[in-house]
Amino acid sequence: MNSFSGVPEPLTRLINELSKLPGIGPKSAQRLAFHLLRSSEETTKALVIAVEDMKKQVDLCSICFHITDKDPCQLCQDEERDESVLCVVEQALDVIVLERTGQYRGRYHVLQGVLNPMEGIGPEDLRIGELLQRVQSGNIGEVIMATNPSLEGESTAMYVQRLLTPHGVRITRLARGLPSGADLEYTDEITLAHAFEGRQTF
Amino acid sequence: MTSRERTYRIEGIIIRRRNIGEADSIFTIYSNTQGKIDAVARSIRKPRSKMRGHLETMVQSSLFVARGRSLDILTQAQTIDSYQEIRGNLEKSAAALYCFELVDLFVEKGEPLPELYRGLKQFLEVLKATSSPLSVRYFELYLLNLLGYEVRVFECVVCDSRLPEQTALLVPEAGGLVCGNCRLNTGPGRLIPVPIIKLFRFAARVSLENYVTIRVTEENLNLLRLATIDLIRYHLEREPKSQYFLENLPPPPQKP
Repeated sequence: MNSFSGVPEPLTRLINELSKLPGIGPKSAQRLAFHLLRSSEETTKALVIAVEDMKKQVDLCSICFHITDKDPCQLCQDEERDESVLCVVEQALDVIVLERTGQYRGRYHVLQGVLNPMEGIGPEDLRIGELLQRVQSGNIGEVIMATNPSLEGESTAMYVQRLLTPHGVRITRLARGLPSGADLEYTDEITLAHAFEGRQTF
Repeated sequence: MTSRERTYRIEGIIIRRRNIGEADSIFTIYSNTQGKIDAVARSIRKPRSKMRGHLETMVQSSLFVARGRSLDILTQAQTIDSYQEIRGNLEKSAAALYCFELVDLFVEKGEPLPELYRGLKQFLEVLKATSSPLSVRYFELYLLNLLGYEVRVFECVVCDSRLPEQTALLVPEAGGLVCGNCRLNTGPGRLIPVPIIKLFRFAARVSLENYVTIRVTEENLNLLRLATIDLIRYHLEREPKSQYFLENLPPPPQKP
């Protein structure tokens, strides 16, 4: 544990804990800790309670593995959603982003990561087995692979495709191409090739 | 390049990527002039990043790098080859990632080996065109040889006598094959039949392009795999993480 001379031990402990958070370096941790020190007791208590409640109440949905405080989650309980379409994403944040579009009315399956052989993350570390079970047991007609278009995301999509193909389900992949506001001059060859492949009648 | 220069230009193959912070990534690059380097790309995960598609694992890029205090910073990138033929095939992607991990584990930073850069490029070029598992075996032996861990397969490593056309013992600790007479004087090893010895010898003599055209039975491929894995495990003192993934891929879907 780092110790800071002249800083009381509880504050040092908080700085050390905060600096473990992603994107928070030692300087930011110090700033946050001193901000909390100056804050009212009500504010800090609210933060502590929010963190505690989040840890106690938020868990993974037993069907889709999205984060939820009720099991099954709201998305799995919503009867107006199309049960025959399943969108497979890497993480819970992707569900939130896709929901923001309002374009998709099917169900989700959150893999809780992607295959990353070099980091030792294999299929057994993801919710791939559960996805296979859902496809085997449900009346799912289409699985949309919405993993990131990175090497790991692509490998995961190909891996899942291999497991699901024998079950006769239609497997689709999110379209890829130029993002809004993109500049052709700076676009890479992979994206351009996909943009050409996926071109549509104007 | 002098140490005072604040920027430098390299050509490199991205062998690893780790995301950090809100939108940054650290890339491990094997380059032509600097060897293995780690460099950070700021805001690369944002959709408007101009370097986004040019910086990805298994992309060969022309890169402009600024020296940083702890990590160098990638400031410009232009794709040379994105190896689409490999990234669209699960077996080939897994093979490339395994070889990238080998390079990452075996090679230290700051030790430029232009020959390894050429070898890595050649491996990826061949992998584009072929699915032969021999490409990975060749790369393993090529890498060991280049880094000074040459496997002696023509003479007995103990008595130096020419090996007869018969099964020999591969002893990683001794650095190669051991003849029947010397077996009792060496450490543990694996018995290697003549066809596998020949595959070892071919790897030392022919180019990768020619090596992958050799016809090998499944059984011999497996024996060669076990033998090279023994060598890799001995020198690394562990197994590469991506090895299990490469060896346990589900079979490709049957074509109708």
